[in-house]
Amino acid sequence: MIRMVVVVGTLLLGVGAVMAQQEIAVQQQNLMKGQARSLYTVVMKMVKGEIPYNQAAVNTAIKELEESVGKIAVVFTPNPKQDVVDATYGSSQKIWQNKADFDSKIPPVAKAIADVKGKIKDVASLKVAYDQINARCGDCHETYRVKLK
Amino acid sequence: MTDRWTPRLVFLGSVIAVAVGFTIFWWLTIPAVVPSNSLPAYTPNPANGLTAFNAGGCSSCHAVPAQPDRTRLGGGLAIPSPFGTFYVPNISPDPVDGIGQWTEAEFVTAVIKGVSPTGVHYLPAFPYTSYQHAKIEDVRDLFAYLKTLAPVSGRVRDHDVPFPFNIRRNLGIWKLLFMDGKPFAPNPSRSASWNRGAYLINSLGHCAECHSPRNFLGGIVAAQRFAGGPNPEGEGWVPNITQKGLGEWSEKDIAYFLQTGELPDGDTAGGLMARVIRNTSQLNPEDRAAMAEYLKSLPSVDGPPRPKKAVKHDQ
Repeated sequence: MIRMVVVVGTLLLGVGAVMAQQEIAVQQQNLMKGQARSLYTVVMKMVKGEIPYNQAAVNTAIKELEESVGKIAVVFTPNPKQDVVDATYGSSQKIWQNKADFDSKIPPVAKAIADVKGKIKDVASLKVAYDQINARCGDCHETYRVKLK
Repeated sequence: MTDRWTPRLVFLGSVIAVAVGFTIFWWLTIPAVVPSNSLPAYTPNPANGLTAFNAGGCSSCHAVPAQPDRTRLGGGLAIPSPFGTFYVPNISPDPVDGIGQWTEAEFVTAVIKGVSPTGVHYLPAFPYTSYQHAKIEDVRDLFAYLKTLAPVSGRVRDHDVPFPFNIRRNLGIWKLLFMDGKPFAPNPSRSASWNRGAYLINSLGHCAECHSPRNFLGGIVAAQRFAGGPNPEGEGWVPNITQKGLGEWSEKDIAYFLQTGELPDGDTAGGLMARVIRNTSQLNPEDRAAMAEYLKSLPSVDGPPRPKKAVKHDQ
């Protein structure tokens, strides 16, 4: 009886550990996807003229982006050592091998956002802002994001 | 005959068989050479050489790492692979550590045949399996362009490739298996721009080298060419660029991507493809449009199965 309890308990601990790791990976992915939503479903679509320019929506998107970018260093501190199941993109292990370099790529993103905050009035100024912010996202992705499929 | 002769005959027979086998092997693996007297008189065009340089993506491997000048071709980049780690050589016009002393024929031999000036087979991390289809004039133009760049001193260390992959002569057999040695043949039923795209993608562009799965010998699985596969340099997956993968992309999307690295959903190419965009963004728009036309025409091909479960990283 005791043996059964120990075996089942260990199994549950093991499963729990794996699930906890997957939870971390999902949290990290959700942080990134939230930023993609702000940048690509709101800002980019306005830049391309697919949806009409809306100042309130722009302000909200920029604000959310700024908040989210501020969380990147902390959310990406634990290493889940696994990718989200069936995800298209994943984190390279290089993040945790070179955490200092990874963290150093975040302030330029924050700066690009801060530089344009309050200055976007129309599609033209939105495009400038979009290009600058998107380029800083790419600087990090080039080394630290991995395509999975 | 007595019984003493049978083992001696067997022994003699085996020695002869081995000698014959070795001679055949030696003959099959003779490194090909493009002799200089086979190259007709030609005035190279360095401007076209620059196009070849960008289409061929030479700087992505041969530029000195961790510095922004794409034309500093001192080499040194480390490329991991299942066959060991390759260290990219110096191809600047430096006379001691680079290709400054090379003749044009030696350069053509290197790029089209994958053979060094000393007659040694290059390891196929150098994508001569694609470059073999390039036009000789483009390679001669490329040589002229490379000679205009700055010499960079510093010899790069040897590759770190374990036995048996470091036996260069064996590559003669590998080349027989995986190279057809034929120049690019245009398809007369297709437009000039399609053919230009097909030429760039299959020769200098060497796109299939990353975008195809490979077999256990490291050769491309021909039936799944362009259908994507595990990243040969380690982490992640290289996408399927047949219509199975690019079905939702228009030609305009593809050409725009090659120019800017921007995907149709706004995201930017990351990882190794960002290096490629740094080259394709320098091509002229007609060439990118041609490449897009060709890619859009590739019939849908299923790639190898992808790992579905959460992938555990061991590092």
